[in-house]
Amino acid sequence: MSARRFRNSESVDFVIVGSGAAGGVLARELAGANLSVVVLEQGPRLAPAEFEHDELKYWFMGGITADVRRNPQTFRRDATQKAEVPMVRTPLVYARAVGGSTLHYTANYWRFREIDFRERSVLGEISGTGFADWPISYAELEPYYTRVDWEVGVSGLAGVCPFEPPRTKGYPMPPLPVKSSGVLFERGARKLGLHPVPAPMAINSVAYNGRPGCVHCGFCHGFACEVMAKASTLTTMIPAAEATGNCEIRADSYVSRIEVDKRGRATGVAYFDGERREHFQRARAVVLAANGGETPRLLLNSANAAFPHGLANSSGLVGKYLMFNYTARALGTFEHELNEYKSVQVTRILHDFYDSDPKRGFYGGGGLDARIGPQPTTWALRTATEGPGWGAAFKERLQEFPRSMQVACHSTSLPLESNNITIDPTVKDAWGIPAIRVTYKDHPDDLAIARFLQDRGAEILDAAGALRVTRAPVSDSSLAFHLLGTCRMGDDPAKSVVDRHHRSHDIANLFMCDGSSLVTSGRGQPTMTIQALAMRAGEHIANFARRNEI
Amino acid sequence: MDDEGKARRTVLRGLATSLGVAALPWAEMARAAHDAHAAMQTPDPSTYTLFNATDAADVEALTSQIVPGGATPGAREAGVTFFIDRALSSFFSHWRLGFLDGLQKFQATCRAQCPQAARFAVLSDENQVEFLRTVDTTSFFDQARLLTLCGMFSSQKYGGNRAGAGWKLIGFEDQHVFEPPFGYYDRDYPGFTAQPEKGS
Repeated sequence: MSARRFRNSESVDFVIVGSGAAGGVLARELAGANLSVVVLEQGPRLAPAEFEHDELKYWFMGGITADVRRNPQTFRRDATQKAEVPMVRTPLVYARAVGGSTLHYTANYWRFREIDFRERSVLGEISGTGFADWPISYAELEPYYTRVDWEVGVSGLAGVCPFEPPRTKGYPMPPLPVKSSGVLFERGARKLGLHPVPAPMAINSVAYNGRPGCVHCGFCHGFACEVMAKASTLTTMIPAAEATGNCEIRADSYVSRIEVDKRGRATGVAYFDGERREHFQRARAVVLAANGGETPRLLLNSANAAFPHGLANSSGLVGKYLMFNYTARALGTFEHELNEYKSVQVTRILHDFYDSDPKRGFYGGGGLDARIGPQPTTWALRTATEGPGWGAAFKERLQEFPRSMQVACHSTSLPLESNNITIDPTVKDAWGIPAIRVTYKDHPDDLAIARFLQDRGAEILDAAGALRVTRAPVSDSSLAFHLLGTCRMGDDPAKSVVDRHHRSHDIANLFMCDGSSLVTSGRGQPTMTIQALAMRAGEHIANFARRNEI
Repeated sequence: MDDEGKARRTVLRGLATSLGVAALPWAEMARAAHDAHAAMQTPDPSTYTLFNATDAADVEALTSQIVPGGATPGAREAGVTFFIDRALSSFFSHWRLGFLDGLQKFQATCRAQCPQAARFAVLSDENQVEFLRTVDTTSFFDQARLLTLCGMFSSQKYGGNRAGAGWKLIGFEDQHVFEPPFGYYDRDYPGFTAQPEKGS
C-alpha cells in the first residue's frame, strides 16, 4: 500500500514531531491501530544509498546533524557564564533526517535493569539532586524490550551475562563476529574475574526482517548505514507505518510552535516546509518525539498568555534534569594489528560494575565495552590532545592507529536542575526560531564514577597485555549524544512533566515520548529503553484515542 | 554532487528499491560502487585561490612541522596546503577570516622573534621547531592543526590526503567491505563460552 497524504486542514488523529527512535515507533504503533498520523521531520528523507563514508562531511561539516551556522546552539557551564556557539559542532548532537539519530548511532542495545527504575528507593535521597524512582518498573517494560529485540532486530546472546535482567525471549540473531578488541577485552576481563559477554547490537549479523547482514565497513558511529544492516527507523518502523495506509511522513518540515486553544487543548503545530513557507497541521492530539533537546525547546518556544513559562510546564521542570551519560575512555596499544576501524563498533561488553556501591563513597555505576578507536581524522585529533601534539613523536603515535583500541566506560549522570535546556535570549537559527541554550556541568559523583570505571578499563587492557595504556582526561562534558530527562515521567504533577503514559500533566492531548521522558540516565545506551517506552506509549495512547480520551 | 557520486547512488538506490534486498550480493555491489567512486575523486591541484605565494609557503612549512615528512609522507606530500586553501575558500569559508588573521599574527610574531629570517618558511628546521614551541598553545595553532589533520586524513575528494598518503601512513584501508578475521587477535578465537555464575 502506498503512503497516504493528508491536507493541513484535515484534522488527523495524531501529529508526531520527530521520526527518530521514538517517533518512528510511535508512528507505526498508532498508524497500525488504524489512527491517522502525520509525522513531521525537520530534516530531509534520504535513501540509504545516499549515505557516504565521508568523515569530513559527517563529523566536521554537519553532515546529517547540524551546521552550526544554520542550526546554532549555545553552551555554558553554569548560569553565571555567557553561552557561546561552538566553532565546529553543536553541544547536542543529533541527526536531522528521517530516521533521526537511529541513522548515525552506534546501535548498542542494552536494556536497563530492574535497579534503574527504583534506585532512589534502594539508595535513598542524594541531596541537591532530583534523583527519583520511575513510576513504572522493569517488569512493566519487559514485554516491550522483547518486542524491540524482535521487531527492530537485535543481535546478541542471551543467558550468558550473570547480571542480565529477566527476559522472556532470546535474541532473534546470533552476535556479530568478534573483533580483536573483543578478544583482548574478554581475555583481560576474565583474568580479573569479570564477566565479559557478546554485545547486543541493533545490527543484523545475518539477513533479518528483509534487511541484509552487516558488511563490516566500520562506518557506524556518526554515519548512516547504506546497506541497511544497522537498524534505523528509516528502514524498519517507518516503512511499516506507511504500509498501514494511515501514515504520512512529511520530511523537511520544521516545527516552530504548538498551538493551544482557549480551553487549553493543543490544536496542532505550526511548521516551515522546505521552502520556508509556514503551514499549520491540525490534529486531535500532538505527540512530541523530537529528542531531549528539541522537545523541551518546542514546549518553551510555544509559551503564550495562558502558559507564560512554556507549555506543560506547571512543574517548572521542562528542560531541567538534563543528563548526558559520561563516557570515560582507557586506551590501549598492542603489539599486533587489531584493525579496529573495520566492522561494528562494539563486540564485547561487561556489566560487573553496573550497580552503584555505597562503599565507593559516591553514587554511580556503568557498563564497559571494547571498541574501535574513531575513524582516521578524529583519531588524529584525539591523539593530538593525548601526548605530543605535533612533530615526529606525534607522527609516530598516529601510526599506532591499527594497533589501538579503547575501553569505553559508560556511566550514570545525576539529574540536576542546574543542568538544563533553556531558550537562548539572543541567538536564533536560520528560520528565526530562538535557539537551544545548554547549561551543563557534571555532578562530582558523575566524574568520580567515570574515573573509577576508567581505572577498571585500564586494568583490563593491562591484563590483556597492552604495551601501553593511557587514560583520556575525565573533565566536564561539553558535547552530548544522549539527551535525557528534560520532560521527566512521574505520578506527581509537581515533580514531573508527563505521567506514566507520557501524557503531559497540564494538557490532556499533548504527549511527550523520547529521551526526555527518562527519570534516571541508565548506564549509557538509552535507545533500547526509548524504543521500549515508545512501544508501550503507543499502545496506551492508541487506547486513549479509541476511547475518545485525547 | 559530482557525476560519479550520482551514478553510484543511482545504482545503489535502484538496487535498494528492488524486491528481496536481503538476498542481494550486497558486499560485492557495495565494493564495486565504492571503488568506481573513489577512482574519480582525486582533483588535480595546480593553483591556490586564497593564499599568495608567501602565505602558502608559510602554511606549508607550518603544516609540515605538525606532520613532518621523511621516510614516510607528511603533510606536504599529502597536499595539505592545497586542501586548506580549498577548504577556506569553500566548505570552511566561515573560518577564513579567523585563519588569515591568525596567520598574519603568526608571521608578525615570527619576524619579531626571529629577525634573522624574512619569514617562517625560510627559517632552518631547528629554528622553526624552536619558534613553534612558543606558539603551539595559541588558537591559531589549534586551527592550523585541525585543518592539517582534516587535510591529511579525510577523503581525497577534498583535495588533501593525496594518493591516500594519510591513510597509508596510519594503515587505514580504504575498502568498503571487510570479512573476519579483522585483525591478529581474532584470528584463532575459539568461540564464546559462558562462564560460571558470579560468585560460584
